[in-house]
Amino acid sequence: MGNDVFEITVNFIKMVVIFLMMVQLVPLLVWVERRACAYMQNRFGPNRVGPLGLTQLLADAVKFITKEEFAPGNGNKFMFYAAPVIALIPATLALNAIPLSIPINVASFEWLGHTWGPYIFKFQGYDFNIGIVFVLAVSSLAAYSLLLAGYGSANKFAMYGALRASAQTISYELAMGLSLVGILLLFNTFSFSEIVTAQSGPLSFYFFGKVITVASVPNWGIIYQPVGAVLLMAAMFAETNRLPFDLPEAEGELVAGYHTEYGGIKMNMFYIGEYGHMLVASALMVIFYFGGCTIYPWLTPDTVNAWFANYGGTTASILTAFVLFAVMMAKILFFLWFFVWVRWTLPRFRYDQLMDLGWKTMLPWALGNTIVTAVVIFIMRTKW
Amino acid sequence: MLMEAIGFYAIALFLIFFAFKTISSANPIHCACYLVLTMIGLAGVFYQLEAQFIAGVQMIVYAGAVMVLFVMVLMLFDIKTELRAFSRGLISGFLKIFSAAILAGFALGAATNSIGIVDEGPPKVMSTNVTRDLSILLYTKYLYAFEALGVMLLVVAVGVVCVSRIKGGTHAKH
Repeated sequence: MGNDVFEITVNFIKMVVIFLMMVQLVPLLVWVERRACAYMQNRFGPNRVGPLGLTQLLADAVKFITKEEFAPGNGNKFMFYAAPVIALIPATLALNAIPLSIPINVASFEWLGHTWGPYIFKFQGYDFNIGIVFVLAVSSLAAYSLLLAGYGSANKFAMYGALRASAQTISYELAMGLSLVGILLLFNTFSFSEIVTAQSGPLSFYFFGKVITVASVPNWGIIYQPVGAVLLMAAMFAETNRLPFDLPEAEGELVAGYHTEYGGIKMNMFYIGEYGHMLVASALMVIFYFGGCTIYPWLTPDTVNAWFANYGGTTASILTAFVLFAVMMAKILFFLWFFVWVRWTLPRFRYDQLMDLGWKTMLPWALGNTIVTAVVIFIMRTKW
Repeated sequence: MLMEAIGFYAIALFLIFFAFKTISSANPIHCACYLVLTMIGLAGVFYQLEAQFIAGVQMIVYAGAVMVLFVMVLMLFDIKTELRAFSRGLISGFLKIFSAAILAGFALGAATNSIGIVDEGPPKVMSTNVTRDLSILLYTKYLYAFEALGVMLLVVAVGVVCVSRIKGGTHAKH
């Protein structure tokens, strides 16, 4: 956590702020989702409460919180109440491990008659050197929330939803993990910040042992790994249980799937978990394939830092980090919009189509992508 | 050092408590859920031993995939019959006491034989890249064992498919 009181306090506040950021984005995303859906279906959507209908969400929140609290009589009470809480945990833990900008360097300063040593604050809750494995590990626990919800409700439809959710999650987790192997081989690291640093320069790669650099094109992962990017995106839709993969809550067949018995703030917590997963998925897409918080020729750590050169070390570092954070958020918001866009564009898969796509299409493609990437990297990096 | 000790004993208590609950609770679903918590605790222990990669893989494979399958299959059981089958009878009672005795014997034997592990060995060389070291070991020193294990898992997978397709079931050939 840190070496003294100041560092520990700041690190703790960071974690809470990232969690709150995730929770606060949800109402906004729900508004975007409802307005976008209405726009695509030639309706108005919520536009009465406040400017553009924005305060509709406040009204909704009050409604959710003040609703009557109930639990099914034959269900398992503990599991029923635990499931919505567990829905929040994986997304929060994963989002905290993702760097949203470059680290802030704070020079040593005097405060309260004490010299506080130089600090480096990472723009994330905590930093593991195997961050990617950690994010995959905690997001694989997301299935338990749906399983417990389905089992605790003592309801057939909730149970079907839970079983579908777990089968789907397991099937697509494999393809998701394998689609990432290509990018890991390419950048040769398990650390998010190293991947972002590698992508913040010009396009440069080995061509039969010689380094070739193309100026003015960023060194983004999508250029090397288009197949991996498409596979990851599809797997992310399945992992977040969004349309076209929302079979766990297919309302035409299963009433509302795993949250049939939930109402009020408990159901809202499932929504927060789902949108949190979308946030994590978008952040992963941005970091692996779209340069993280940098856009090479204009917005890299060095160029942005040069804008603020007059302000002195600490202030310049803080301003740089926040400008790059804005860049990162802009990219993440684009992918969140993409999630919403796809949801109201594509119809739902049939269950056998879902399984065929996962096991017979995406898994072989991901395996092939891994093998081809490994062979190509080996040939290109050998001196000829 | 103190923080490490506190962390270790906290995780150890967590692990022992949930491992005990895994074998002592009557409902299979609850057992599986406790086992998930045990797996997560185990990942914590690996993390404390600076084996971050193993900790992550433990979470992904066991807690994330294997146990999800377990819980999913267990939810399809008729738990009332299972409870009746496992909770009564002279033979099952005898088996319970017998296995408890064996377990106690193992625990005692392990405790008396493992004093050497606690002693500090030579100072370990910590590399910054644990994953790289691990993969180099896997593909050089332990290559044979690694590949043999892979082949064994493949055999198991093929065997399971064969067994499940012999007769009956939704995929049976008529």
